[in-house]
Amino acid sequence: MGANIYKNKKPLLLFLLPAFIFMTVFLYYPFFKNILDSFMQIKELGVSGKEWNEPWYSNYVKLATDRNVWTALKNTLIMTIVTIVGQVGIALVLALMVDNIKRGAKVFRTVYFFPIVVSATALGLLFNLIFLYDTGMLNQFLALFGKEELTDWKNEKWALFTMMLPVMWQYVGFYFVIIVTGLNNISEELYEAAAIDGATRLKRVWYLTLPLLHNVLCTCVVLAVTGALKVFDLPWTMFPKGIPLKSTFLTGTYMYYEAMIVKDVDYGSALAVLIVVLGVILSRVVNAIFKEKDY
Amino acid sequence: MKMKKVIATVLASAMVFSLAACGGGDSAGSQSAGSTTESNTDTQTAETGSTEQKEQTEQASGGVELEVVTTFAGNDGNAKNYKTYYQQWEAETGNKVVDMSATADDTFKIRVVTDFETGSEPDVLFFFNGADANSFIEAGKVVSIEDIRAEYPDYASNMSDGRIPVSLVDNKAYAVPVNGIWEAMFVNTEVLDAAGVAMPGADYTWAQFEADCQKIKDAGYTPIAAALGDIPHYWWEFAIFNHTTTENHLTIPESASDEIGQGWVAAMEDIKALYEAGYFPDNTLSAKDDETFAMFVEGKAAFLLDGSWKVNGIVSACQSDPDDVSTLDTEKLSKFDVTYVPAKDSRKASDLLGGLTSGYYITKKAWDDPAKRAAAVDFVSYMTSDEIVPIFAQHAASALNSAPEVDESMMNELQIKSLKMMAGCTSITGVVQDLFQGESRVPTFDGMPEIVTGKVDAVDAVQEGLDIYYSTN
Repeated sequence: MGANIYKNKKPLLLFLLPAFIFMTVFLYYPFFKNILDSFMQIKELGVSGKEWNEPWYSNYVKLATDRNVWTALKNTLIMTIVTIVGQVGIALVLALMVDNIKRGAKVFRTVYFFPIVVSATALGLLFNLIFLYDTGMLNQFLALFGKEELTDWKNEKWALFTMMLPVMWQYVGFYFVIIVTGLNNISEELYEAAAIDGATRLKRVWYLTLPLLHNVLCTCVVLAVTGALKVFDLPWTMFPKGIPLKSTFLTGTYMYYEAMIVKDVDYGSALAVLIVVLGVILSRVVNAIFKEKDY
Repeated sequence: MKMKKVIATVLASAMVFSLAACGGGDSAGSQSAGSTTESNTDTQTAETGSTEQKEQTEQASGGVELEVVTTFAGNDGNAKNYKTYYQQWEAETGNKVVDMSATADDTFKIRVVTDFETGSEPDVLFFFNGADANSFIEAGKVVSIEDIRAEYPDYASNMSDGRIPVSLVDNKAYAVPVNGIWEAMFVNTEVLDAAGVAMPGADYTWAQFEADCQKIKDAGYTPIAAALGDIPHYWWEFAIFNHTTTENHLTIPESASDEIGQGWVAAMEDIKALYEAGYFPDNTLSAKDDETFAMFVEGKAAFLLDGSWKVNGIVSACQSDPDDVSTLDTEKLSKFDVTYVPAKDSRKASDLLGGLTSGYYITKKAWDDPAKRAAAVDFVSYMTSDEIVPIFAQHAASALNSAPEVDESMMNELQIKSLKMMAGCTSITGVVQDLFQGESRVPTFDGMPEIVTGKVDAVDAVQEGLDIYYSTN
């Protein structure tokens, strides 16, 4: 009798309905409206499109010929690689080291995770001060070692490095925590058996830890790639309008620039569609490459 | 099992009810607001019978709630004045202002346009009168001064009609102006002294300016504080003004090759020449405007082109507490001055750019509401009266017929210097960038770094901007 309550699924539907309505109104409706908007003429933000573009697909032709789109795609690809190597890679190394220490592991977990709780905009402002040309922390620090010339960390030569370093730094802790959790799930007995067989620490990591972490790392890589496509706030705070010389645009920042600054709203919508398509393709590719294994 | 079913049903009902209540809260609220208005209107109608609408609206004043949106917020120098005087109006009339003011940035402009689009516009709006206002004027959502005067003949009668800017849409005046703006060149005299350069005056020429810049550069300072990759607006406008006249400055060229178009191209070339000579900061292409402003304030750069609102910015930078005037370092402030922008060709340096770019609009929504019409008119009349306008305008121009004497004892040193500079001004012309907006600006505004570095030819950039302008207007 007691189990009968679980047979009636109708109340469950009732509970699912509010979230479904919420998602429909605030995600799926704007999503499909955005696709429609990318074919329309929208004069300014806040004004709905009343006429079709001529030709209706003109924004997509512009996408293919726009130099800034290619810059944004190239930078986003670099950001994706930096994210995988810099965020997941560093997080893995840190997690392996913390896993091998007996004291202070909790302290390191907290310290590495902390940047996640700080808002990206605040971090952008913080790093702006660090990389400031005149009276910036880094330039002052270098001056202590006798460097006389100021370095413009935001010029064409350094801009991508200056933009990607804080993004990378911010999320290392996130993947660190996921990987540490994965490490905790590996049985100590396996390590003990390997040690008895004469495996060195490095061999234990290579032949035991990494294979057993495979699924966790796959999840991290998928999250990192999709995260890299969405990154916006920190780069925009530090490099608005793609400065310098429109060389630092990412797909997200370029879409914002076109929609909110240039006020070419319909073109901004087309860029949003591009981001979605790119996201779907990249996540499929990543899923195909980093397939999870059943053990 | 029955009990569990009952609990499940109760829980589900409670959840649905609470959601409905959340959603219903607003609708109930709006309905109640609507009913209040209706009931006010009904009461009004009952009281006045079928008498004229004017009588009806006049009786509505007192206890009226007006939604007002202005740009007097945040760091705006008049934010405090605005609060003081609308509260004074509230006390005198018994009406209430629901203030929804915000800083005049892009987000604010979008919010205003969206509010009009969705029918949630305020009753009174203090907003720009250029192209930014086109959409709601085209939609007939604000009332012209002419239409208001048909019922209230004294409305804005203290203003000179010739000075009230008209809309780009239909050439009619909608916004009653308060304080004008001007654009000029601020100077850090400490840097000039260190470089042995004299303070520029009303006869300052481009050639003298270039010679001074070189002296300043040689003395180890940055001649011009400007972030060309962020805000090239002031240099763009004045460089063009140097190649146009006060008569044709507001004419957008047909192409880069016609007379005015050639002026625009020459203007871009002038800025490029200054960049190539190394007169802008080393990081001008990657810096933000506040960074180069800091250079100017800290005595590392000599010249800064900006608007009248920057007077307050410089004063704040000379205070140890930016919000407390009593902490002003008067000695530091005395090192700043303001003068005319160097002139080229036929333009006089004392020909300035500026004007009355904003004003109070009364929306159609408030005008059509008998309970609010009189209150909205009274509020705008109060805030644009002969007594209040000079307090807002200070060293800037106004449209008053008889502007009262300015009390210099209430001003700081830079404000007084601004007044003197304005007293010697020979003309004020509007800014053409107010007409040349949106995407058409991109090739020469955001594209300025490409122009000055030679990656894009000035002729191509100007022509591209004009092509976009004519294809979207």
